[in-house]
Amino acid sequence: MILTKKLMAAALGATFLAAPLAASASEAELLARMEKMSAELEQLKAELKASMQKTNELEKRQQDMATAAAPAAPAVTLPTPVVASVEPSHTGPVTILSGYGEINYNRPTKDASAAQADIRRAVIAIEHRFDEKTKMVSEFEWEHGVVSASDQGESEIEQLYIEREFGGGLRGKVGLFLIPSGLLNTNHEPTAYYGVERNFVETAIIPSTWREVGVGLSGDTDAGLTWDVGVTTGFDLGKWDATSTEGRDSPLGSIHQEGQFAKSRDLAVHGALNWRGIPGLLLGGSIFSGKAGHNTEGFAANDARITLYDLHARYTPGLWDLSALYARGQISNTEALNDTFVGSPTPVPKSFDGWYTQAAYQLLKSGDYTLSPFVRYEQFNTAKSYAFVPQGLGVAPTPDEKVTTVGANLKVGEGVVLKADYQKFKEDKSRDRLNLGMGFAY
Amino acid sequence: MMPMQRCLIVSFTVMLAACGGGSGDSAPSTPPAPSAPAATLSAAAQLGQKIFNDSSLSASGRQSCASCHAPDHAFGPTNDLSAQLGGANLDVQGFRAVPSLRYLGQTPAFFFASDGTPTGGFNRDGRAQTLAEQAERPFLAAHEMANGSKQAAVDKLKQAAYIEQFRALFGAAITDNADQAFSRMTFAVQAFEQEAPEFHPFDSKYDQFVAGKVKLNEAELRGLALFNNPQKGNCAACHPNARGADGSPPLFTDFTFDNLGLPRNKRLAATADPTYFDLGLCGPDRTDLAASHPELCGAFKVPTLRNVATRKVFFHNGAFTNLKDALGFYVRRDTNPEEWYPAGADGTIQKFNDLPLQYRKNVNTEEVPYNRKPGMAPALSAAEIDDLIQFLGTLTDGYQNP
Amino acid sequence: MRYQPLLALSACALCAPAFATQYLTAEQAQQAIFPDATTFRPQPLALNAAQMQQVEKLAAMPARSVNWRVVGAYKGDTLLGYMVLDEVTGKFELISYAVGLNPDASVKQVEIMTYRESHGGEIRLPAWRRQFIGKSAVGGGLSIGDGIANISGATLSCTHLTDGIRRIAAVAQVMLKK
Repeated sequence: MILTKKLMAAALGATFLAAPLAASASEAELLARMEKMSAELEQLKAELKASMQKTNELEKRQQDMATAAAPAAPAVTLPTPVVASVEPSHTGPVTILSGYGEINYNRPTKDASAAQADIRRAVIAIEHRFDEKTKMVSEFEWEHGVVSASDQGESEIEQLYIEREFGGGLRGKVGLFLIPSGLLNTNHEPTAYYGVERNFVETAIIPSTWREVGVGLSGDTDAGLTWDVGVTTGFDLGKWDATSTEGRDSPLGSIHQEGQFAKSRDLAVHGALNWRGIPGLLLGGSIFSGKAGHNTEGFAANDARITLYDLHARYTPGLWDLSALYARGQISNTEALNDTFVGSPTPVPKSFDGWYTQAAYQLLKSGDYTLSPFVRYEQFNTAKSYAFVPQGLGVAPTPDEKVTTVGANLKVGEGVVLKADYQKFKEDKSRDRLNLGMGFAY
Repeated sequence: MMPMQRCLIVSFTVMLAACGGGSGDSAPSTPPAPSAPAATLSAAAQLGQKIFNDSSLSASGRQSCASCHAPDHAFGPTNDLSAQLGGANLDVQGFRAVPSLRYLGQTPAFFFASDGTPTGGFNRDGRAQTLAEQAERPFLAAHEMANGSKQAAVDKLKQAAYIEQFRALFGAAITDNADQAFSRMTFAVQAFEQEAPEFHPFDSKYDQFVAGKVKLNEAELRGLALFNNPQKGNCAACHPNARGADGSPPLFTDFTFDNLGLPRNKRLAATADPTYFDLGLCGPDRTDLAASHPELCGAFKVPTLRNVATRKVFFHNGAFTNLKDALGFYVRRDTNPEEWYPAGADGTIQKFNDLPLQYRKNVNTEEVPYNRKPGMAPALSAAEIDDLIQFLGTLTDGYQNP
Repeated sequence: MRYQPLLALSACALCAPAFATQYLTAEQAQQAIFPDATTFRPQPLALNAAQMQQVEKLAAMPARSVNWRVVGAYKGDTLLGYMVLDEVTGKFELISYAVGLNPDASVKQVEIMTYRESHGGEIRLPAWRRQFIGKSAVGGGLSIGDGIANISGATLSCTHLTDGIRRIAAVAQVMLKK
């Protein structure tokens, strides 16, 4: 059937003519609907107005409260209901400045002319968090007040590393970082330990503040175990000076490299395990080992290996703070090198060790003052044994030095501590001294 | 927590940059040149070697640098003369004993260290600032090669077989100007002394022992212990024997000066004149310090002890001809002065008689082993001196490990 | 021998899953504290001056915030308890945590939601968090050294977190206790 144009036109015309009729029927419907919607809209407007009024009142009250109450900590005060996950207030990169310092006064009781006051250290730490997973940690230190070619101060970089979270509690570090040995090395702010001076075992045997350049990996387990492993630079036995007393004060402290043109042909490995499964108890240990000759041309101790291990415990039941630590260092294959040092006062020791026990008690707490007296007994020997030297030309091992320290820390608030203590030496009584100190950390 | 403060960061960086380094070494510690065959010497050093051995450059025609600085005697003297003979007829006596030319390459130019210690310089009084400067005097001095003037020396050079090589290196017209040609001569000698491995072989038994390759025998080891012990020989205090922190081998001198109060040596003709005194840092060869530093009068350079056992004459005035006497003097100078010094007309011992009266207080009486008083025991016994001599024997170059 | 540790280290790094300083979301926390709950209703608090002072007295420290994010947990129509969300600073970084409270304002459970510090992650251990269970602001035992043991090497984190929990317990005592 052929639809002629005429037919089409007629059909269309009919449809159009019918539309207004149909429209007028649904138009009434539409109008009614529109009326209803209009009424609803009015109602919503009224409700919104009331709600806004209420919100204004609440805000006003909140403001009044905020000015009356104590200054707010960096918590987010959201008036809106809880939704999905709570994000911390910083989402972009954040740089944190922190630091610590200590000024100490020492007065040998048998030689008042040797009394001295010293800005032991002033440290600035900058931590920059790039994102949720990556941060940079740096620590810069100035010791003894003034640094110049004719002064005795030192300025150094104590830490400079990047830490990255891999997930599952796994973290990696690369750069100059602290070796996880002992209790003090990684926790060395003046507010973190008892006594004006850092204890001898963890300065003479474990050479705090001990840092090396390398890579490290650490993680936690659900049982409360924290583990650390790493590969880093080690010590340089070529720096040993048999004519000076530095090696006797701290064998490893006299040959550490601290990332300064550090010889790295011989790298060192370290591992540490710390268990905090029971609240208030820490048990742990570490080991560090590496050769120290670096295949140096014409050096007699290219085979020497330096190993340092430690075991430590800390228990804080109630107001007590009890700790104990044992550390031992060994240097192997020192015979040929020590033969060249015969007659000199400080040959290379074969072993050196030390241990201490310490008890502190939070005696008084008044406002933000906290007084904690403590007592510490330590025994250490920086030259416990030597490798054999022919014809008795070697140096005899020294007896252990035994030091008793009695004193107190007075904490003012969270970040400031005033310290006083008295130290008594068993072997070298001329070192008996009274110490006073001020320290802070923020 | 505090926001980062940019100005703080900038000032920290500046402070770190300004920090002084650790204690610096007064001596430049460049590692020794590796031993290379003579063929790899530079052109200047090769010429220097020829000049060094060329006797025709002297007034007598029979004396070169090598005559007194004999290559097969560690570049030191071959005999026990207190001072060698020079001049046109080889009959004019010099004033000081010939030192070894080995191991001088690290010596710094003369300076006063921050604590005032005079350090460095060549010659026994440190007056030459470079090896080239030190080489000038022997060509000219009347008691040595006696050329009298630079022109005379250069004239002799023009007759040498290697003059064309000299002109090829320094310029065809170099010999037209005597000053310039002479300075090139001494420059060439310096190049030879710096480059040629025979000036710093470091192949003594001691070097091999320090490297852990060879063991010392019992007497030598005892001697080393005495050398190191600050209460016995204390030799290492001025003659350091330890490797540098950078691995550089020891030179057995710290380039400083010491006043030992040596006895006057009658074998030196100059001492016949009672007003003649060789005061080292104060003269007679250098005159810049006498007025400002009278406390230094009588002090002479600490020489290297390497190859000391090859020598037959010791100290600046050749006072002793064997090591046993030299070491005996160190330890018994103050306990038995009569052993070393003559007695005066009234019977008193003329201690420190090689110094004028006003400078005798400059003599070092503080450091071990010459810090004793009469009646005290000497720092070393005769047997210990023997052990020490055994040890000093290990410092001779050219040790072959059997 | 020297290179083996390096290989081991890099192997560990490569096979690790997604990072976990964010341990729990708020939903996961409320589920963990009240597994029997059927509905959770946001019930934010706004304290007036008098209430702030009461909290300060109970907690022995500043009340800090007027507004608190509180979620009520219900099983049907029965109130099981409340969860309060908060943040404190550890040593340098924020710690997000949730405290579950019983209707009588005693602590039911503590959950750590975000922990970023390099040290002191042991506060997440169940053993350490268990120390808070059953304690209330009036009962005491919510201070370091007096009921809550410290974690060696993380003193600041422990102290700040314990203080935060004690504060929340005080707020609950004043505002939420039935």
